[in-house]
Amino acid sequence: MMTVITDNLPVFVVIAPLFVAFILPTFARRLRLVEGLVIIANTLWIAGAAYLASIVLSQNGIPITYALGGWQAPWGIELKAGSLGALFILIIAGVSLMVSFFARNNLTEEVGSYERVARFYVLILLLGGALAGMAVTNDLFNVYVLVEIATLSCCGMVSARKHARAAEAAFTYLILATLGSILVMGGIGFIYIITGHLNMAFASQELGRVWQNSPHVVWMAFSFFLVGFGVKAAVFPLHVWLPDAHSTAPAPASAILSGLAVKGYLICLLKILYNVFGQTLMQQYAVQRILVIVGTLTIMAGSILALTQDELKRRLAFSTVAQVGYIFFGFSLINTKGLSGALFYLVSHAVIKSTLFLAAGAMISATGEGKISGLAGIGRKMPITVAAFTVASLGLIGIPLFSGFIGKWYLLLGSMEAGSVIPAVVIIAGSVLCAAYLLPVIRVAYFEPTPEVDVKDPGLSQKVALIVLAAAVVILGILPGPFMELANMAATELLVLK
Amino acid sequence: MKILLEKLIINYPYFAAVILFIIGALTVLTRSNLFKKLIGINIMESGIFLMFVAAGNIRGGAVPILEEGSSRSVYINPLPSALMLTGIVVSVSVTAFALALILRLYKEYGTTDARRIAEIRSGVLKK
Repeated sequence: MMTVITDNLPVFVVIAPLFVAFILPTFARRLRLVEGLVIIANTLWIAGAAYLASIVLSQNGIPITYALGGWQAPWGIELKAGSLGALFILIIAGVSLMVSFFARNNLTEEVGSYERVARFYVLILLLGGALAGMAVTNDLFNVYVLVEIATLSCCGMVSARKHARAAEAAFTYLILATLGSILVMGGIGFIYIITGHLNMAFASQELGRVWQNSPHVVWMAFSFFLVGFGVKAAVFPLHVWLPDAHSTAPAPASAILSGLAVKGYLICLLKILYNVFGQTLMQQYAVQRILVIVGTLTIMAGSILALTQDELKRRLAFSTVAQVGYIFFGFSLINTKGLSGALFYLVSHAVIKSTLFLAAGAMISATGEGKISGLAGIGRKMPITVAAFTVASLGLIGIPLFSGFIGKWYLLLGSMEAGSVIPAVVIIAGSVLCAAYLLPVIRVAYFEPTPEVDVKDPGLSQKVALIVLAAAVVILGILPGPFMELANMAATELLVLK
Repeated sequence: MKILLEKLIINYPYFAAVILFIIGALTVLTRSNLFKKLIGINIMESGIFLMFVAAGNIRGGAVPILEEGSSRSVYINPLPSALMLTGIVVSVSVTAFALALILRLYKEYGTTDARRIAEIRSGVLKK
């Protein structure tokens, strides 16, 4: 019995949310039932993810492989739940559980009617399933399909509000993201043409032998993947769609889009760079230099653009661009410290940014004011929400004892080990800028005089979600334990392969 | 030069794929009409589809269905075609979704031109 569960875990964590997503529309008229089902599905999902993580930890990072439909590796689609997959699925499941708690009793005013709320949950679960799939898949074309599922459900979430701006942001996002997926598909095509394999491990072996026969094709594949995933993960010159899309979406959607969706594409890029091309080819084609330049530019540009925004959600959206820069830069460091730092930063940013967006959403829906100046004195009326916002901000800035610090610290150590000084300076400068754009919000919220208006306090489930997420930021900062261990294992595994 | 030309002629499907891809990319990036942008995306996708299908083709190969007593020994590779079937399905759903969004934008702004929409919106914001 136990082995049946263990053997099927890699596919369970992908199928669970997808399955529930497709039965939800039948209950669309009964909102309580839909919300209950989503929370049950998420709880089961996180239980599966935690069990998977504990197995991977106890096996010292040896992955569980699963052949879909019983077709073995070079022919069939293979799922491989290693430490990287377990880490990422755990964080997706955790954040989506909290977000679905937050969304209870809260979505109808933002989205419109009951039926639309049910459809919105369908999109959240589809996105979760697609991201979990990206974390465990070991097949290149499967990556493309999952990327498309994720993109379409993200676009659906962005357009969920009945607002002309939402449709416009969704259209821009859809066109640019499809452009990105076409490039990704092209890159997969190049790899398939020269290696004849779609399985990452087999393609990587074959690529190691044949790349010298067709160096230009490898070059094209690299550039297609970098630009394709770059558009989707919103690195600096390609980030134009992100601020509109993430700030016009309803609050739970922005939390998931900023916290999780962007990370899925980064994980895919990481897997393709390290598991398919391998570090030898990366060094041969100077890819890590491109990653360093793009990463540092993204950190600086995102932070400076965030400083200029008056709207709270837009400021947070630009801050996401900056944090993607950190992770992108971390991918360039071909050493364990840098890579595990990047992965831990990815995890901690997922938690922090979803807290920030949820708290911002609660504040905005309470005051009806999207501008930062409109939040004067709100800290005294909504103590829990603003406290969660403050904790998450401190985490994002990278104060010790909060989770952002550990990621940034390892990134710094990694960049020192790689001998690059300028990026290290940029990391610290990014932290200072981060303080410069987040602390004023907290100052306004706590220390400005309160105007005499009624503020609607968020409900119990919203408060619970915010408290749990803020607690997670602190706990990850004090006791990173298993998460850091998983990140470390994943980094070692990525570097050992080839 | 002659060798290059010969290579181009032999590999003409790839050449066509590149041309389609470039036409599509140019349409997406330079046209402000939303429909034309969408059509550009579709043309780009066709370019990639063509590349995949061409990669699976073997000259003189038969349709990959095994028949008893058949003397054919060379079959084309069916995998890329099967993959592109998935790709076409995805592209159709993207197109449908984008058309729905365009419809909503048209109802809201009364135009399908991205530049006009931006103008109208900035006017709305100023007011």
